[in-house]
Amino acid sequence: MKKVGILAAVLAIALSPLAATGQSMTPMRGEVRSFTDAFAVRVFPGNPYDQRIRVEVHVYDQDFQPVAARITPSAFLLAGQASRPVLVVVPFDGATERKVRICTESIPFPSEQTQIRAQICGKFFGHRRS
Amino acid sequence: MKFFRAVIGAALLVACIDQTASAATGNVLFNGTITATCTITINSNGTMTVSTNLQSLSSHNAGGSAGSAQVDTTGGVTLSVDPVTTTTVPASDVTATTWTPTFATSGAQTIAETGTATALTVPGTSTVAVNLAGTKGGSNRFSAGNYQATVTLRCE
Repeated sequence: MKKVGILAAVLAIALSPLAATGQSMTPMRGEVRSFTDAFAVRVFPGNPYDQRIRVEVHVYDQDFQPVAARITPSAFLLAGQASRPVLVVVPFDGATERKVRICTESIPFPSEQTQIRAQICGKFFGHRRS
Repeated sequence: MKFFRAVIGAALLVACIDQTASAATGNVLFNGTITATCTITINSNGTMTVSTNLQSLSSHNAGGSAGSAQVDTTGGVTLSVDPVTTTTVPASDVTATTWTPTFATSGAQTIAETGTATALTVPGTSTVAVNLAGTKGGSNRFSAGNYQATVTLRCE
């Protein structure tokens, strides 16, 4: 019983609350018409904290599989209470329309551990016009 | 001549008395569209403790605590947690662990603890409690050392 108590204490200490991150993103919905073989969306990840955080932007399809989109910039440091534009160019890959999720994810600093990762995803619908 | 001027002036004044000032009104319309927005602020990470039979490592166990996050939204979004894929376990733990993340909300909208995606329809601020439970089956047990798992809380 004593060993269980020690083990519980070790685990509790190891998993104690540490620094965490989160964010916002606008817009979260969008419909784009494009005359080219790709469509572009500009999103604005935001940092609700007072300290800077590291942010990554990813693009997924409806099944949360990664999409080979061009994201500029895809990873960056964001100052406290700030937001910045990120340009996402999504190829149609031969389709006439495409639904994607553009997600802003908080990335913990290497020296820190995070148990809750915040992810804000927007849904965007691209239509190809000929 | 003076009298003539006075008469002309008076006549003009009398002629103007009965004229109404013309005025027009118009409506200026204002339109505003609010699209769905969502902000997640992590308040604290969770703490997991092991059960007395060493087969459960969970934030629900005695001494454990849920992670906490704040979600500010206009509504019209969905809250969910991803299956846990990123874990760190001690080298001595070589057996499989099943990780089950769940969440519950209070505040603007109350959601009972669930592991499935749930719509946030009420605008406002909700507090999210994120729990994580790791379980081992059969004769497998958690071992001493550092465990860490990352839960992704998604608002979309």
